[in-house]
Amino acid sequence: MPDNNTFDAIVVGSGISGGWAAKELCEKGLKVLLLERGGPHEHIKDYNTKNIWEFPHRGKTTSEQKKNYPVIHRGWAAQEQVMDAWANEQDAPYTEVKPFTWWRSYRFGGRSILWGRQSYRWSPMDFEANAKDGIAIPWPVDYNEIAPWYDYVERFAGISGSKEGIPNLPDGQFLPPIDLNIVEKDVAARIKEKYKGARHLIIGRTANITEPKPEQGRTNCQYRNRCWEGCPFGAYFSTQSATYPAALKTGNLTVRPYSLVTQVLYDKDKKKATGVELLDTETNKTYTFNSKIVFLCASTLNSAWILMRSANSVWADGLGSSSGELGHNIMDHHYNLGATGSIDGYEDKYYYGRRPTGFYIPRFANVGTDKRDYLRGFGYQGAASRTGWSREVAELNIGKDLKDAIVEPGGWQMGATGFGEILPYHDNKITLDKMKKDKWGLPVLSMDAELKENEYKMRKDIVEEMKAMLEASGAKNINTWDDGHAIGHGIHEMGSARMGGDAKNSVLNKYNQVWDAPNVFVTDGSFMVSSACQNPSLTYMAFTARAVDHAVAELKKQNL
Amino acid sequence: MERRELLKMIAVLTGGVVIGGEVFLSGCVSKTADATTFSPDNIALLNEVGETIIPATDTPGAKACDVGTFMKTIVTDCYTTDQQKVFAAGLAGLNDACKKATGKTFTDASAEQRKTFLIGLEKEAKEFNKQKDDREKDEREKAKKEMDPDYVGGPAHYYTMLKQLTLMGVFTSEVGCKKILRWDDKLPVPGHYDGALPYKKGDKAWAI
Repeated sequence: MPDNNTFDAIVVGSGISGGWAAKELCEKGLKVLLLERGGPHEHIKDYNTKNIWEFPHRGKTTSEQKKNYPVIHRGWAAQEQVMDAWANEQDAPYTEVKPFTWWRSYRFGGRSILWGRQSYRWSPMDFEANAKDGIAIPWPVDYNEIAPWYDYVERFAGISGSKEGIPNLPDGQFLPPIDLNIVEKDVAARIKEKYKGARHLIIGRTANITEPKPEQGRTNCQYRNRCWEGCPFGAYFSTQSATYPAALKTGNLTVRPYSLVTQVLYDKDKKKATGVELLDTETNKTYTFNSKIVFLCASTLNSAWILMRSANSVWADGLGSSSGELGHNIMDHHYNLGATGSIDGYEDKYYYGRRPTGFYIPRFANVGTDKRDYLRGFGYQGAASRTGWSREVAELNIGKDLKDAIVEPGGWQMGATGFGEILPYHDNKITLDKMKKDKWGLPVLSMDAELKENEYKMRKDIVEEMKAMLEASGAKNINTWDDGHAIGHGIHEMGSARMGGDAKNSVLNKYNQVWDAPNVFVTDGSFMVSSACQNPSLTYMAFTARAVDHAVAELKKQNL
Repeated sequence: MERRELLKMIAVLTGGVVIGGEVFLSGCVSKTADATTFSPDNIALLNEVGETIIPATDTPGAKACDVGTFMKTIVTDCYTTDQQKVFAAGLAGLNDACKKATGKTFTDASAEQRKTFLIGLEKEAKEFNKQKDDREKDEREKAKKEMDPDYVGGPAHYYTMLKQLTLMGVFTSEVGCKKILRWDDKLPVPGHYDGALPYKKGDKAWAI
């Protein structure tokens, strides 16, 4: 007798990791239930294609939105075009013991629609760093083990980039790179010369395809740079454009929106999960779904939050808490700082098209013979461009002169912001705040994490080194800035359920399985043991595909 | 590079597009929009102010972009109560201030008189904003240090609001994009990227 509540696998969350888990599981023949706490968001049909003048506030948000979305208004993400994308902050509050920015998108596809698409491999150095420095615990996986999985996910997702042969930023399976503009090319050459080949300015590696992928129904990038409104060409990797259609094609996928997972159901005799319990946010009814395996891909903080609410009769602090590490070691990338300057000349050059990426300066601090008074390092992301109509034009106050001046492009400016590694500190943590409940009666998360001495030392260096490189490149009017960084603001939250080689000090094993329930896999940013300084989503994709491969092999061996 | 330019650049890098960064950095903080009423005369006056800042030349000016209506929308929906008060007081006193400076109300003044008046006002606004920035330096630093997300300084001079809203209202409008800046039918979907496009003085900036 068919049972509609039973599946081979349940995937919680439909963002980058969840989409990958669903695709891989479905393609390996498993019947998969993909759960999304938010509503549907259909490819192409639900994307915005309006022109800026068709928005009543031309991109600005209203006082009402400011009131309802205070967290989103801490950064640049509060824009009229995408306000529908963000989670309702009134319904889903959280507690800040220390300032913490949590950017959430609760709808199908999650942040895969909104992501920055920068895609960099980690290097051997990054996987070895914790062991070498004696920080936290060693990674249980090395680069050679994950490299084939990087190959695999890059080929499918479509990453454009240039092969550079930089040891600490390994090359991948790239589509043709997007171009640096003429100023960036010249500055790259000056930096190479000045630093004798030890520093590089390269085009950002991005999950925007530069050749069509007809087998996926995706057209190459059209240089609109309206990615986060949703791309009707499917030119960047998202759940909607890539993993969801692939999973759907197998006939093995069932998607259930409005499904807020309240807990993973745990059988303490079998020491395994039996499925999940969920709350339908439209009907407020509770449902139970059963499966052989569960993939938690709800995002770093949400997956840990679900674990904290699960198996509480066995472990008061939740499933996976036996090591005492669940919810600890929260990391992010710290940014909000950098330098800018003007570049003389090139008045006879401009550009056409709007790139979906800028330049990248890979890490050089503490690489090779370079030594600093702090651990680890940082990369930079930036661009050179000509200024537009919002620039100040000295002495031309108003009238025809002002108009004639600002309808032309201004001079060239170049700037970059650093993205720095944050060390995993046990006391940077999230816990349950049992005094405060969300709209659905769940105790909310409480955030208690901050930058520490190593990060503050690095921040000084990030600013100084960018200033030095701009000076070396002949830039003038150099300005530096550091606006401080609350954890989470980098939108790269990681580490809430780290993997490791020992159940005593880690939540997951090296295949992303919860030590306390091996048929539960956590493959979003939760598993990260250190943060490196590269944008992390590509690494989540690779580990997710690898975890599915392991899960299915173990199922076949009847080990799960 | 201006801070707003950098924010814009970063936003572009990470997928977003910020339009009119200046206004972003000053607007939208209030809890309740204290409805400022705008009469048709007010909107006509705002259009005239806008036209003095960005006049019709061989291309349309601010009036053709109806910046008056745009200002009404932004001030009503996005400004804080404090900003609304400053804007409303500035607007109400505009004719008198112009009369004091030029002998004619703004409505009755010639194009040249209007320009003279607004240039004087711009000087006043620059001085006002500078003093405000100096005055608020300590509390701004403190808010930054404590990462207080709710900190917002006092309102800028009303002229600053008028000028920012004029520029944003012009260059994000359909007329501004298609008739004042550089536009072609392919622009919404460029199709390729050229990082060394030849440029000669007089060529306009891309609209979007």
